[in-house]
Amino acid sequence: MPGCKKVLEEKPYTVFSVDYFKTPSGFQNGVNAVYSGMRFLFGPEGAASMATSGTDEWAMGDQARAGAAGDLTSFCNYTLDNTGGSILTPWNRSFNNINLANFLVEFAPDIAIPDADKKVALGEVRFLRALYYLNLVQYFGAVPLDLGAGDLKPNTTPYQGFNRLPTGEVFVKNYQAIIDDLVFATLNLPDKRPAGAFKLSKAAAFHLLAKAYIHRAYSTAAVSSDFANAYTAATEVINNPAKYGVALQTYYADVHKPNNDYNSEILFSIERIPGNYAADEVPNPDGIGGTKGMDVSNDFCGNYTAVRAPLNTSATVPVVNRTVQYGRPIRRWCPTPWLYNTAFADKFNDSRFEGSFRTAYIASATGGGYTSGVDTGFVMALTDRIADSLNGIAPVGPRLKPYRVVAPREFYFVSGSLNGNQDATSNMYPSLSKYEDPSKGVPNYPGGRPFPVCKLGETYLLAAEAALGSGNAAAAMTLINVLKQRAVNRPGLSPGELTARYDAIKLTAPGQVTLDFILDERTRELCGESMRWGDLAVRNKLISRVQLYNSDASANIRANKHELRPIPKEQLDRIIDPDKQKYQNPGY
Amino acid sequence: MKQNSTQKKLFFMSSLRIRSFLCSAMLLLLLLSAGNVFAQNITVKGRVTHDNGQPVQRPSVMVKGTSNGVTGDDNGNYSLSAPANATLVISAVDFTTQEIKVNNQATLNVTLVVLDKSMGEVVVVGYGSVRRKDVTGAISSVSEQALREVPVANLQQALIGRAAGLEIQAVGNRPGAGAQIRIRGNRSISGSNEPLFVVDGIPYDGNLNDINPDEVASIDILKDASATAIYGSRGANGVILISTKKGRNGETRISYNGYVGIGTPAFKYPVFNSQEYQAMRNLSTFNGGYMAEEQVGITQGRNTDWQELMYENSIRTDHNINVSGGNGGNTFSLGGGYYKETALMPGEEYTRYTLRSTIDSRIGKKIRVGLSTQNTVSIELGSQFVSGNAMFRTVVLSPLMPPYNPDGSIYIMPNGNVDDNNGDGRYSPLLLKEGKQTWVDKVRRLRTFNTLYGEYEFIKGLRYRFNLGLNYAQQNGGQFKGSDQPPNNPSFFRPAAGNTARIDNGDTWGYTAENLLFYDRTIAGKHKIGFTGLYSVQETQSYNSYVQKDSITEDFVQFYNMGAASPTPVAATAGGESRSGLISYMGRINYSFMDRYLLTFTYRRDGSSRLAPGHQWFNYPAVSAGWVISDESFMKNIKQVSSLKLRAGWGKTSNQSIDPYQSKGLVNNNNGLGSSGTIGAAGSFIRYNYGPTIVNGYNVVTLPNPDLSWEFTNTVNIGLDFGLFKGRVTGSMEYYNSKTDKILYAVNLPVTSGVAGAFQTNVGEMENKGFEFSVSSVNYQSKSGFNWSTDLNFFFNKNKLLKLSNNVTQDVGSQLFVGYPMTAIYDYVNAGIWQNSEAAEALALGAMPGQIKLLDIGGPNKTPPDGVVNDNDRRIIGDMDADFQGGITNRFSYKGFDLSAVIHARLGGLLVSSLHAPLASYLTILNGVRNSLKVDYWTPTNPSNWFPMPQAQVATITDGAKTLAYYDASFVRLRSVNLGYTFSKDLLKRFGTQNLRLYFSIDNVALLYSPYYDKTGIDPQATAAGDRGVGGNLGNIRENGRGNGALVIGLGTPPRRTFTFGLNLSL
Repeated sequence: MPGCKKVLEEKPYTVFSVDYFKTPSGFQNGVNAVYSGMRFLFGPEGAASMATSGTDEWAMGDQARAGAAGDLTSFCNYTLDNTGGSILTPWNRSFNNINLANFLVEFAPDIAIPDADKKVALGEVRFLRALYYLNLVQYFGAVPLDLGAGDLKPNTTPYQGFNRLPTGEVFVKNYQAIIDDLVFATLNLPDKRPAGAFKLSKAAAFHLLAKAYIHRAYSTAAVSSDFANAYTAATEVINNPAKYGVALQTYYADVHKPNNDYNSEILFSIERIPGNYAADEVPNPDGIGGTKGMDVSNDFCGNYTAVRAPLNTSATVPVVNRTVQYGRPIRRWCPTPWLYNTAFADKFNDSRFEGSFRTAYIASATGGGYTSGVDTGFVMALTDRIADSLNGIAPVGPRLKPYRVVAPREFYFVSGSLNGNQDATSNMYPSLSKYEDPSKGVPNYPGGRPFPVCKLGETYLLAAEAALGSGNAAAAMTLINVLKQRAVNRPGLSPGELTARYDAIKLTAPGQVTLDFILDERTRELCGESMRWGDLAVRNKLISRVQLYNSDASANIRANKHELRPIPKEQLDRIIDPDKQKYQNPGY
Repeated sequence: MKQNSTQKKLFFMSSLRIRSFLCSAMLLLLLLSAGNVFAQNITVKGRVTHDNGQPVQRPSVMVKGTSNGVTGDDNGNYSLSAPANATLVISAVDFTTQEIKVNNQATLNVTLVVLDKSMGEVVVVGYGSVRRKDVTGAISSVSEQALREVPVANLQQALIGRAAGLEIQAVGNRPGAGAQIRIRGNRSISGSNEPLFVVDGIPYDGNLNDINPDEVASIDILKDASATAIYGSRGANGVILISTKKGRNGETRISYNGYVGIGTPAFKYPVFNSQEYQAMRNLSTFNGGYMAEEQVGITQGRNTDWQELMYENSIRTDHNINVSGGNGGNTFSLGGGYYKETALMPGEEYTRYTLRSTIDSRIGKKIRVGLSTQNTVSIELGSQFVSGNAMFRTVVLSPLMPPYNPDGSIYIMPNGNVDDNNGDGRYSPLLLKEGKQTWVDKVRRLRTFNTLYGEYEFIKGLRYRFNLGLNYAQQNGGQFKGSDQPPNNPSFFRPAAGNTARIDNGDTWGYTAENLLFYDRTIAGKHKIGFTGLYSVQETQSYNSYVQKDSITEDFVQFYNMGAASPTPVAATAGGESRSGLISYMGRINYSFMDRYLLTFTYRRDGSSRLAPGHQWFNYPAVSAGWVISDESFMKNIKQVSSLKLRAGWGKTSNQSIDPYQSKGLVNNNNGLGSSGTIGAAGSFIRYNYGPTIVNGYNVVTLPNPDLSWEFTNTVNIGLDFGLFKGRVTGSMEYYNSKTDKILYAVNLPVTSGVAGAFQTNVGEMENKGFEFSVSSVNYQSKSGFNWSTDLNFFFNKNKLLKLSNNVTQDVGSQLFVGYPMTAIYDYVNAGIWQNSEAAEALALGAMPGQIKLLDIGGPNKTPPDGVVNDNDRRIIGDMDADFQGGITNRFSYKGFDLSAVIHARLGGLLVSSLHAPLASYLTILNGVRNSLKVDYWTPTNPSNWFPMPQAQVATITDGAKTLAYYDASFVRLRSVNLGYTFSKDLLKRFGTQNLRLYFSIDNVALLYSPYYDKTGIDPQATAAGDRGVGGNLGNIRENGRGNGALVIGLGTPPRRTFTFGLNLSL
């Protein structure tokens, strides 16, 4: 009966099949999804934890130390096992987007869109695929290129294997694929990005290509030309700023300043819209982590709502209410003594400490002599001497400020210990300000600003490192000094002051440029930007520097294990092969 | 031909079907009806009485071999039209069935004997009804009386513990809370294990809360495949047939049933008092110090009992009026009901209004038509977001904090730490009870469920019937959370934020059209043949839409106009649609020889739209036989045995475990982040932006699988029905063995396959074996009128997973293990707490005294213990299936008094208490930040073996703390005690009243046994499949969207003990 046939037909209104990606709009929506997947890897707490926990820069904030944050403690002190939740962030959020990228690359020849558009879209997709892989490889070593249908082919089968063996071979193929994709991107993407948006451009592709070459250069997959190729790629951007539409900001502090997200120094950011949680894919902004939001806007935040003033014995807590600008004091990570005392030893001539950290807080409650939104509640002094002087302790005298001046020795952990006046400063330390988002609406919510992934400042560092690796320390010194020169800029300084300050911090001899120096300089330029763990790990510096500089982690970290993160248990549970251990990274 | 409306299409199709059935009817006529004799009809009247002279109320009087019959009135009087030479079959519940020849007599008084009640009952089976005596499958029945014994909101609760093989676990204590229903265990991993509900013959897939229990006349539960195979692709999980009250011949009656109940907490969550709170906090890792007001509390010896302050008495009330009557085969019934229930926590309420009517009419001698309509409007308040957060605050607030300011106003932020004062749940929950209410949480549902039939009798014994079921349900959920305006108008649900409103609308409609042909014939007085044929079409479609908007202009607008709002942020929207269709053919033949040897064959063929073309049709055969041993001559001398019947059957069924469109594979814009959030739930869609331009993203979610098919269950059932001592003891035993294959298994692919979603495929096999026993006995009967009777049932079911996909013996990711029940729990072995005396042993495993003692059981690949506790040490540590379940109801009566008590027992198995999984609930985290559920934790001077010492790392492995969540699930509960008094008829007659009974009942009377309760002080009843309150998924139990998730105990409104006064009145 004809009517009956209809009863048994399915004509869904809301369900699409893979063929959707063969349509022009489907193809574009696929590209959008590949971009969107990056939000998981830049901004959420899981991603930040992978990149930040247990490095020379960051120790445990009290909320990581107390274990309330779940598995964060284990990442910070290297007791982690393969069940830790944060490893799932990059692991679970990458391969489906890589597979989607594979689909788009496969289907592209048949999509009915203009060739020029197609070229750009493919450039974007392949850049992003390379970025997914580069991120995975730095954490896990070899990861599958073959998802079940062949290397870089779209998989449509319920594949239950795990193609990472032999790891040595796969690892070599991983880097080659990354570099091939990025080379393609440098040839096909437009020269410049749009002024008010972060569509991918050649500048970003050269930058990431340089980074990929450098990472490979330190690895077992190294090719002798890697540093030279990295140098070529990075300097292509540096030497042609007009062509690629890039320029360093005059002041370092402006690079991450709110409402300046689209500045010319930033080659590529993962985008979001402040305060728009529907657009930002944050279903529950009350929660912490687990979504695509910018948890980093709160994760570094010290407990500013508990600082008493003007004395640590006062009854008044002038900043007792959380503010949107300062964010939710989730207190995951605080600076290590090394970060505060050594990397940023010079906070005076070099503006980058103050450009990266919040040290002054305006009162958020009225009372006890403070007016909300007007009076300074407290400041985090740069040195004990300054604090003692302003507080009238040494030299003994009257207090010079109506607000509290907190001495570094009182900071949580920055002094290397946890006990210094802890009740008084109650888990307070200088807080990373790069991701503060005054437009997010509610203090507790994650931020919504774009997350910079490729900055021209880092391009200089990559070029310098490539030069060093190629034996040209002099060129490296020149490149580094460009950043030093910029770092001294502060509004209102006279040319004389600028010169004096530059002279105080500039490099004067090529011999000063070493790999450790490059890493120190990366901290000054890039501190807290979700790349440190990988930076150290791929350069084989993780173990030694963490042992030296991070007392939370030094006891447990060990060589031949912690250079890589473990393959998640969930992954091993789901593969058919009963011999799971052979897929695991050494030591886990 | 293009169809413009569904109705037109329906009519067209059904008329076609009528024609095709007419053809088959003609064939049957030719084959079977030769030599039928038609006789003149006369009117027969009479009275049916007890052997003690009392009238038998409402007897059934049928013309033998036909469906022509009437129901007598309360005084046993009947009247019907019957052929002058017919035989009347007179039956009534609890009496033997009598047959008597009319022989042209106009008056026939009949005396019935109370004998073996189990054999005389009429049992509703699929597409018809049969005498209990003729049943060959496994069917349990629950009478109207049993349903009345526990005052309840819904049928699920009424059925708990009332039938062997029927496992019902209540979920939560919210007003109108539902339950998980299983008949003979689980047989599907990813599909639904809920039985099929059939109301008055039409499959019902709505919310059971929409059925007013007062409207139900009886419930029959089809358990084995020989009984359920006629429901084919929907029969595998058992079928529950609900018959609603119908009109009866006789004078028009009006009846009223109603009650009012008041509930109090059956228990409170045990929490630390202020002394214990301080001890825990001082020991914990928390170093924030006490709040100033807490310091005051310490000085003053304050000990605030937040639960005492928050809970209020609950109310439950039910009122039903029913009018029924009829004569000459034209009967009607009209009814209306009102039910309302509130919870202990303020803000939660459930109200239901029902309106129903049935009309059955006879047109001439050959045509019968009827309509039944059931209409329900229900309103749930506070079901969407109220209790979770408020309960959490109520349990964890500092007992050192004051509830009120000295001036009597609410102390609005009674938190024990600065962080919570800035947090999302910062305000006192007392605001919900006593403050200005700035929120609305309302779900309103309208359902109309209608069945219409027409029946035509061609010749005696041959009938055609057309059933049409029409179902429409609409659900509207509205939420509003007002903006925060502290200090005078704080918003409990929106601290430090503006208002937000949300509406969601769901709409489901469906029809079922059935063409049925019945033929009954007796050949040579000994051979009875019955045939039932069916052709049916069913379609269902549902869709929903959803809007959420922040920044509504004024709070008083609530969710009633989303347009009265600022343009930003933009509204979040979502929606979805699904449709499915099912076409079925069915034939059933019943054959009996001398009423002693019974045979039933059924065959069904179903085609479903949910499967891919080419894979849509499947067949469901079943056969069963019965032998009434007690009718054999060799049994005649065994006086003690009044009835004995052996049954055996086999059948094949399946379940509709595949959602519409599932075989197609899925590309969508869902980012997998869920939509449970309070704000911007639209954040669950893939989006991106290039500068200010927001775009959509689509990704592959699941892989297509055109080979998907149902899960098939083959069941063998052997049953024995018995009646002893003239029917004073009756009962049955069943043994069954069912095997389900082609189980849909959502293989959680490694994410490196590039597909985020699980892959559905038919690979698994599962087994359920079990034994059921039920008995009803009259234990004592005295001349003085004292009676004591008992209904008892117990059963056990052994569930075992036989196979996953090839060579996979365990899928830890999905928590499935071949050779174990589906509810197996795989985790570390928790042997208590490391004690001081075991310091060295602990240290060898990297642990120290006070931490959880996780055992090192083995190394990699089953090697001996390797000195580390890691993955290799996880084992099956138990499962959540009960070993033994049952219920017992005792009834006593003396003169007008009746007393009944219902006990429900569930023994064995583990429960998962997310309350006691520190990181899942935050209720036992013991980190000093908030108060905690009271647990006995280890300290150097308190060698507890239960909870670890409050410290940063309670075990050497991060997720080892989950093992604190497992407890023995056993319990024995006295569910209700019900005391009634029925006034004597003589007295009532003076007031023109037929019947009046007053009663008093208590539900949730006592937990007679529960190891979990003994240890934790918390009721062992599950509160959710995962996440109500603050209990999230622990990651160690299975969860899916089809209600197969493990039941867990989280935080929720505590259970109530309700004291109810009620009356049943009929005029």
